Amino acid sequence: MPITSPARDDEAREVFLRLQGVIRSTLVSYYLLTPEEADGAEEDLLPWFLRLARRSGASPMPPKALRLALLSAACQYGRSLQMWKLGGRRSTDPRLDDVLSREPEEFAVDLQMRLDEELP
Amino acid sequence: MNGGRVLRFPPRAMPPEEIEISADRILALPPAERIEGADAIKLEQPELLLSVCGRLHERLDTSPATVRDDAEHLYGFLRVPARPIGLFDEREYFLGELALIAGTACRHLSRREEARLWFDRAEGPFLHTVSATADLSRLAYQRLALRMEERQLDAVLEMAPPLEESFQKLSMPVDALKVRFLEAIALTEGERLTEASEIYRRICTQAESLGAERLAAAAYGNLTHIYGMQGDAARAIEASRQAIPVLKRLDDRIALAKVQWGLAGMLRETGQLAAALESYRAAQEQFEQIGMRADVAALHLVIADLLLDLGEEATARQAVLEALPVIQELQMVPEGMAALQLLRESLREERIDRPALRELHGYFPEAN
Repeated sequence: MPITSPARDDEAREVFLRLQGVIRSTLVSYYLLTPEEADGAEEDLLPWFLRLARRSGASPMPPKALRLALLSAACQYGRSLQMWKLGGRRSTDPRLDDVLSREPEEFAVDLQMRLDEELP
Repeated sequence: MNGGRVLRFPPRAMPPEEIEISADRILALPPAERIEGADAIKLEQPELLLSVCGRLHERLDTSPATVRDDAEHLYGFLRVPARPIGLFDEREYFLGELALIAGTACRHLSRREEARLWFDRAEGPFLHTVSATADLSRLAYQRLALRMEERQLDAVLEMAPPLEESFQKLSMPVDALKVRFLEAIALTEGERLTEASEIYRRICTQAESLGAERLAAAAYGNLTHIYGMQGDAARAIEASRQAIPVLKRLDDRIALAKVQWGLAGMLRETGQLAAALESYRAAQEQFEQIGMRADVAALHLVIADLLLDLGEEATARQAVLEALPVIQELQMVPEGMAALQLLRESLREERIDRPALRELHGYFPEAN
């Protein structure tokens, strides 16, 4: 019996595609990654996200939880890379410092709430 | 470096069919060879580990002893030395998942202290996954199932509703039904059969609508048992007909043995003692093959009781003698120690203290 589920894969890809724009703008506008770095982040995030959707459990992960997990991972990625680039120094941009001082999960929840408000 | 971006050379993604073949190949290898050839078989690839975990989950109800050994081995492989696995939370997820699988297998095998240890091992890593709430809720379910097996009926009936609600909030309807299943088992053990059968019937309908056929079949299996206890042969047989083909197809040997136990109970209740004896022994043999020693021991006591009805006291004594060391070793009935002692003393006098026998096998969750 196959372990991989095409249905879960398709659903996860759809969630990813729908959030791709938000992820990109979060990485570039808030975490100040370059467009190339954002490309790399997306390349890494997609396979991880497809595996996340296939994790064990009697019930598949619901779309809302999938969205939040993806946003959290994107924020974690952006924060880690930017902090590594800064090499422990503060940035010269107070807005970036403010973003970096927040927990990625907390930032992701804010993004999710904004998305929920925008959805009809 | 290229404009600040670290160039990556990700490993070639394996096609799904290749992953599944590799997962089966890995699990077919003896553990020592898996370690030696870990690099060659790419054991650290998250895609592959995901498939392996899926396979282990599938086999929990077929070969819990093998699953326990495999999960323990893979857990050890990932834990020391601390290997980087996948991205973000994947290492924590796999550690938690393998510990959860090992604990679940131990629970099936009535190795309860060991199950508890594995569940504790699962908790730490699960706290750090992105799906921590869902993962910890699945862990809470296994801990509650363990309480059920220890016959903590009041605790199960108290804790099941909030856990079910938690799964509902997380939009995990199948897991919520599994909690209701535990509640129904507790009600059955508390002899609240009407309430229990009502819950099982609802589980059957809802599980079928969610495509959770294993759960639906297991609920039909337990309905077989309840109707059997009530002496309702027609409904018991009908429920078993719903359960058996699906369980056979899924190779769910644990649930099949339980259905067999349920049918034996029905035969006994309807006065077909010889057929009941045969059916109990068939269930016992199935549990023996899976390595579920606690159920084998419990069935020895049930069979002994039936043998007394059939006037075969010597064979009954033999059955009890086979059960007692296992009951003692697995510390199966701490609350039934007095009955156990009475039974042991009566055997020394080459007779069976029947009230003690009945009290003792009353402490085992029957066929659930």
